[in-house]
Amino acid sequence: MSPEFNRRGCDSSALKEHPAIWRGRSAARLEVLPSGFTALDERLPGGGWPRSGLIEILSARFGSGELYLLLPVLAALTRAAAARWCVWVAPPLMPFAPALAAAGIALDRVAVVGGARPLWAFEQVLGSGACDAALAWARQPKPRELRRLQLAAERGRTMGVLFRPRSAAREASPAVLRLGLAPHAAGVRVTLLKGRGADRGTIELTWPEGAPGRG
Amino acid sequence: MALLPIPAGTRTREAQSRPGTPAAHVVPLRVLAPPYLPDAAPRELWAGMHLAAPVPAEALQRLALRAGRYTPRVSLEPPDGLLLEVKGSLHLFAGVTGLRLAVTDECRRLLGTAPVLAFAPTPRAALALARGGRPHTVLDMSALTGGLAPLPLATLRWPEDILERLARSGVRTIGAALRLPRGGFARRFGAAQLAALDALTGRAPDLRDVFRARLRFRRRRELLCELEHTCAILAALAPLLAELGTFLRTRQCGVLELECRLGHRHSPPTRCLMRLAAPAADVHRLAELLGERLAALTLPEPVRDCELRTDALMPHRPDCLHLWQPGEHGGGLSSEASGLIERLRARLGEEAIHGLAVREGHRPEKAWGKTAPPAVAGCSRTPPDHEPARLHHRPLWLLPAPQPLPVADGRPRHRGPLLLIGEPERIETGWWDGEEIARDYYTAADSHGVLLWVFREREAPHGWYLHGVFG
Repeated sequence: MSPEFNRRGCDSSALKEHPAIWRGRSAARLEVLPSGFTALDERLPGGGWPRSGLIEILSARFGSGELYLLLPVLAALTRAAAARWCVWVAPPLMPFAPALAAAGIALDRVAVVGGARPLWAFEQVLGSGACDAALAWARQPKPRELRRLQLAAERGRTMGVLFRPRSAAREASPAVLRLGLAPHAAGVRVTLLKGRGADRGTIELTWPEGAPGRG
Repeated sequence: MALLPIPAGTRTREAQSRPGTPAAHVVPLRVLAPPYLPDAAPRELWAGMHLAAPVPAEALQRLALRAGRYTPRVSLEPPDGLLLEVKGSLHLFAGVTGLRLAVTDECRRLLGTAPVLAFAPTPRAALALARGGRPHTVLDMSALTGGLAPLPLATLRWPEDILERLARSGVRTIGAALRLPRGGFARRFGAAQLAALDALTGRAPDLRDVFRARLRFRRRRELLCELEHTCAILAALAPLLAELGTFLRTRQCGVLELECRLGHRHSPPTRCLMRLAAPAADVHRLAELLGERLAALTLPEPVRDCELRTDALMPHRPDCLHLWQPGEHGGGLSSEASGLIERLRARLGEEAIHGLAVREGHRPEKAWGKTAPPAVAGCSRTPPDHEPARLHHRPLWLLPAPQPLPVADGRPRHRGPLLLIGEPERIETGWWDGEEIARDYYTAADSHGVLLWVFREREAPHGWYLHGVFG
């Protein structure tokens, strides 16, 4: 019998990770998800995308590679056994289902929310606790709205990704992580704008061989 | 002490045990035995309720509805009786004692009088005990005959002339009637009476019609003054919603659809139909959703009356509370998901949320489709384990319709000249349904490095179109 299991066959390792049980050594530990890019993982605080909280991705243009950056983590999240949803709030175009499926995303966990009030819908989605990840596109959210989104994401234990124009980099933001993005030969240049306990700096990522659109 | 009060005159297992029987067969009084004795337990336990005075049929039905909280098997015994089969509910209401208190209290609140309540393994016995004014509890089949014996025959409500004839021959109690020879009894007093005695003692089955409550809710409320504000209308709806909550609780059901009608002075009533993702019985949630929906309504006139209506009811299974929050250690989706769908739909419209699916076909427009939102109930599922087939390069974003591109020097332009990358992919299909396409798809990079999916028509005039963005 492995030491992880006590006499009643109960998995005690799960108990150790319960967020309500405070353990001295783990106070500063950040729950993260591997991003699928080794170079990025090395630079991100904690070694991956934060499990819950708001992430801002700022890119000068729509389609700079911001979604390819997230595909590995979305695929891993939706394919887990007890996966919650992955919700796309007010995407500017319709996500193309065959491409998502080819990237390994389980479509039975994907939902698209349209409609007139993207920020309200995004807050509902983040705070509901029904989603593992939520992506949203918003033009100009106010600082107060961003704060609400960040709190909702932590409440619902959801990884919330907000895509914004590059010009928003000058504004302060309560997001856990902020990345700037620019296309780069066969890859993308990622600038770490904000992260708890992370160095600021720029990384150049190259898409893996055979990545869609980069043949 | 035993939990069960044992009234004098009722023979129980203790009373039966004679000196000389082995001690192991005696259930000592000091043991905290369960209120029912599982070894000799009959399969049913009926609670017979006898009211002091006959009540109108409508009042009896209301009482039966309230009794639906305690058991789904309730039968009416007009004009002054009610039968409840409570075997399965005993442990939920602290045994016979707790159930007796709860049902008596319910009756007192509704009708103003306390009933006589007796428990017995057969429905007729429970009723006879209650009519005889003995609030006894007989849990054991073997104690039944003894418990019934002292009751007058009048508690069985047989025709007057039969009771008269029985009395003339000196038979006045049930015990005396049971001692008569069966053949002679049937010949002299009728086979129906013998069958009734058999049903009374459990020798023959006694089938009862179950009281079925009406399964549609319709309540209307006239308002004292005309209301305009959503908050005020919602407050006016609150009593109706509370009634709906009681209605659903007694039937152990939930609603999938709830209609709210708001009446005006001149205009036709404003209708507001709310569809839920899963059967709901929680009034607070319904009120919250209704508030969302009403806030989005524009009323033509102030509201004079309001009405709530439900369609067919659905059996409702209350949620279990989880130790883990959703998302922690396999805590899956539960009520959160359906709550989210309903909130989004209430504010943004029915089409606000949808799922995505892959469809068979080579034409990009027809290779995907919208579906209903992801299944709510599918908490435990087997994730797709096979590696998805590597398709041709497909963009992550598709334009709703191909967008024509200007051409300069034979090359397409989109915010500057486009640089075509790699070999084209030819898609030429769809001749059978009149939506034939013949296109050469290219990956193209614009001057900012954004990758686009463009195609060139194979037919003249060989126009260039933008169809997707790679993300």
